[in-house]
Amino acid sequence: MSTLLEKHIVELLKESNDKAISLLYEHYGDTLYGVAFKVVRNEELAQDVVQESFIKIWNKSHTYDASKAKLFTWLFRITRNTAIDKLRSLGNKSDKEIQMDVSDVYNLGVEGIQPELMDMRKQLDKIELKYQIVLEALFFEGMTQQEASEELDIPLGTVKSRLKIGLRELKKIYGAASIVLFYLLQGL
Amino acid sequence: MKEKINNFLESDLLEKYLLGETTLEEKHQVERYIAMYPEIREAYRELEDNLETFARLYARKAPEGLKNRITLSIRNQQAGRKRFIRYAVAASIATLFFAASSVFFWNQNQHLQHENAMVTDQIRVLEADMKEQLEDVRNQFIVLNNPGTRKYMVSGNKKARDLKAIAYVNPIKKLSYINVRNLPQLPEDQCYQMWAEVNGSMVNLGILRDIEDKDKLMALPYGEKALGYITIEPKGGNNTPSVQNIVANIKY
Repeated sequence: MSTLLEKHIVELLKESNDKAISLLYEHYGDTLYGVAFKVVRNEELAQDVVQESFIKIWNKSHTYDASKAKLFTWLFRITRNTAIDKLRSLGNKSDKEIQMDVSDVYNLGVEGIQPELMDMRKQLDKIELKYQIVLEALFFEGMTQQEASEELDIPLGTVKSRLKIGLRELKKIYGAASIVLFYLLQGL
Repeated sequence: MKEKINNFLESDLLEKYLLGETTLEEKHQVERYIAMYPEIREAYRELEDNLETFARLYARKAPEGLKNRITLSIRNQQAGRKRFIRYAVAASIATLFFAASSVFFWNQNQHLQHENAMVTDQIRVLEADMKEQLEDVRNQFIVLNNPGTRKYMVSGNKKARDLKAIAYVNPIKKLSYINVRNLPQLPEDQCYQMWAEVNGSMVNLGILRDIEDKDKLMALPYGEKALGYITIEPKGGNNTPSVQNIVANIKY
């Protein structure tokens, strides 16, 4: 994601120009939808979450401070929190309580996946499952490290170290993703 | 220093900050560290990149129509806001208008109340005046019409030979009136003043103006063996009669 594009979107947002929403949706829509879906695990709910998140993004655009966070970090926080709030408000928390079903990580519903997303998906295999589980618990389930330690029944120290290593492992994908992107662009 | 940075990086504060889960105090601390230490700044940038990479791994084709739903709801909200602003402006103008007219009507009401009080007062005074005059006219009628009324012709002494007056006294009704018909001209700085001595005390009956109505009857306080005087006094009248300046006396 180019910084220039980020800047452009942020400028449009500050001007209350609704082109910003189009651009945001084009560049982040699928990822944010994926995040929402990962949290609420229901397509309709995930759509509602994305819609509510975009409205929040639009209404709170003046609070975004580019010096403190990347645009994506800000978008992710809003979407993730909206999704978690949605789940809580539906009282679904007990249903959702961490059933770290391994198949869930891989069971993707092939019909909705773009080829390049599938390529990205393959990258996930490069990270060991134990790291994925910790990252998901913390990033998508809205758990604190303490909660993750209790739910996953692993010591807090291990949660911390798996988070750090897991994030470091992501670097591998980052590099690979650039190559994929390079080929994709070449193909255009 | 190095240890401090390592300890900070070892803690999970940066990860919590990334997800917006820090307390306000922690948030300030993290922001301070990011601003102060390039290593921490670098680690945070890396975390942000990693988060995006990680999240993109879960990207999922959003259903057709979601984009339209979002754009439409934002446009509706904007239109609603514009409508609200228009209503708010209209409501503000209406409020100002009502406030201004309230002030105007309140002022007018105050003014009318004041005027009303004045008119009521005037009516009361007029009423009292009218009663008094009616009473006076009634008494005049009684005096003039009653067979028991005695009539005295009063003439001025040598100081005012042309002074002519008629006194009417009715001892039964205990009423007395005087009709001053002619008053000789006086210098500018003098005036005629009328007095009555009733039951041993002197009553000031006031200054006699130029006679406008020759038939006007003036009431005199009634008393047994009362005496009326007309004196010449300095302009503006006197508190006690100047005995040497008596021009006429009326016994009644």
